[in-house]
Amino acid sequence: MSAYRTGGPLDRRRFLTAAALRGATVIGTGVVGTGALGAGVLGTGVVGATALGAVDADAAFAAPIRPLDPAVAESAFAEGRITGIDHDVLRVAGSYGDHFRVRVTGATSVWKARATTAADIETGDGLYARGVPLPDGTLAADAVWVNIVNLHATIRGIEKARLHLAHGQHEIVGNLMPERTSASYGGASPTADLSRLTIGQSAQVLGAWRPSDGSVDLVRVAVAPAAGSRR
Amino acid sequence: MSALVCALAPLLLAGVLGPAGAGKLFGRGVARQAPRTALARLLRDGRRAAPALRVLGAAELLLAAALPASPATPFPGVAAALLGAAFLGYLGYARAAAPGSSCGCTARQDAPPTWRAFARAAVVLAGGIAAALAQQPWWDAAARRPAAASCLVLAAAAVLTGLTADVDRRWRMPLRRLRLRIAGHPLAGTAASAAVPLAATVELLERSRAWQSASRVVRSALLDHWDDDGWRILQFAGVYGGGAAARPVLVLFAVDAAASLDTVDEPAVRVSVIDADSGAPVMAPA
Repeated sequence: MSAYRTGGPLDRRRFLTAAALRGATVIGTGVVGTGALGAGVLGTGVVGATALGAVDADAAFAAPIRPLDPAVAESAFAEGRITGIDHDVLRVAGSYGDHFRVRVTGATSVWKARATTAADIETGDGLYARGVPLPDGTLAADAVWVNIVNLHATIRGIEKARLHLAHGQHEIVGNLMPERTSASYGGASPTADLSRLTIGQSAQVLGAWRPSDGSVDLVRVAVAPAAGSRR
Repeated sequence: MSALVCALAPLLLAGVLGPAGAGKLFGRGVARQAPRTALARLLRDGRRAAPALRVLGAAELLLAAALPASPATPFPGVAAALLGAAFLGYLGYARAAAPGSSCGCTARQDAPPTWRAFARAAVVLAGGIAAALAQQPWWDAAARRPAAASCLVLAAAAVLTGLTADVDRRWRMPLRRLRLRIAGHPLAGTAASAAVPLAATVELLERSRAWQSASRVVRSALLDHWDDDGWRILQFAGVYGGGAAARPVLVLFAVDAAASLDTVDEPAVRVSVIDADSGAPVMAPA
């Protein structure tokens, strides 16, 4: 057993911190020519991705891409509400009356307001999954986004712990998560400073829907810059 | 009190029916919205819905004018009560037959019928009955008990405003803006926060050379992260090598915890890849 697995979580993190700080320092932004870690791996420079595509939250809304590896089958998708969980298989009732069985493995990236594990997935959650169809009819998921919502909304109210948002004719309560919710003003880097949000602003909201009360846990609120403000 | 309510009912009903009728008769969006209302389904023809809504609006305006002007006859009250009952029936139909479509209740909202719409129709029904039972003109009743009459009118106006969703939207935003102006921005405390959110660190990382050099190995979204001594450590899972030699690895990045794309042009990122099982360094990237 390795040293970093024998201790508690803190020991493990200490071990990994030391490992990370021992690593090579690479400076700068911009495109690198030939990858330094090229030896026989999948992909040609797609960032944060499996063979089926990127796995961060924004990837849930990206157009499907062709698999990078010819040996990997075309990716398939499933979406709907989770009606049951049998060990590592999620039973999903699709929005259009269809049914899916989604297999979650140790290699599946799970997003539920943050990167997490399959243990966080609950019956009743909404799901969007990408994977490869298996012969037994299940979808082997490489990435699962649970309850993810990404919408254009108008800020209609600001409180200490939540925002009131209007999406079309729907009023949505957006819960602010301490030290987690970030704002981005006019395309600038995400910041913890939420004080520049104003009532009436249009916002692009990324978050996770809460099935229990229909509110949304806000992960990122991106707004256009206020008139006359600095970037 | 009930006599006063009955006497003032025509006035209050006029306040409900007048704006709703004017909205239907003169609203610019009626022709556009009408085909999407449940009325279009009831009439089985989207083109007939807009004229039907206009006629209904004219009838409501006529009633709104007749109710307070002719308290001696029960007919306007009876007509309003019938209108309220018909509204209730229509809303029930809309809810059952076309739950997703707009009810066209005020001809301004593009929203399915809510409990507010049902409550408004019930108010019209009850108000019509009360107006039909009124024994005296509203101006006599108001002159006899001016204080009670004003209180009643104000209370009814507040309730009716609460039942009108689009008016509700109109007063709530300015009120919230005013509260922010008086009490200050509720999130002003976050302005002083120097903490760089994780999303900013990830954005910086994903634009760094270190990420590009290691991205071929990375096979997951961010799995774990923590701050240590000014560094933010970001942990990803990955696969190193191909074919039979492929093995699971952890890809670790160490980024300055205080840096973001707004503050740093040339981020220094440390990257290391370790074996997921043994924890041994797999390689030292160039």
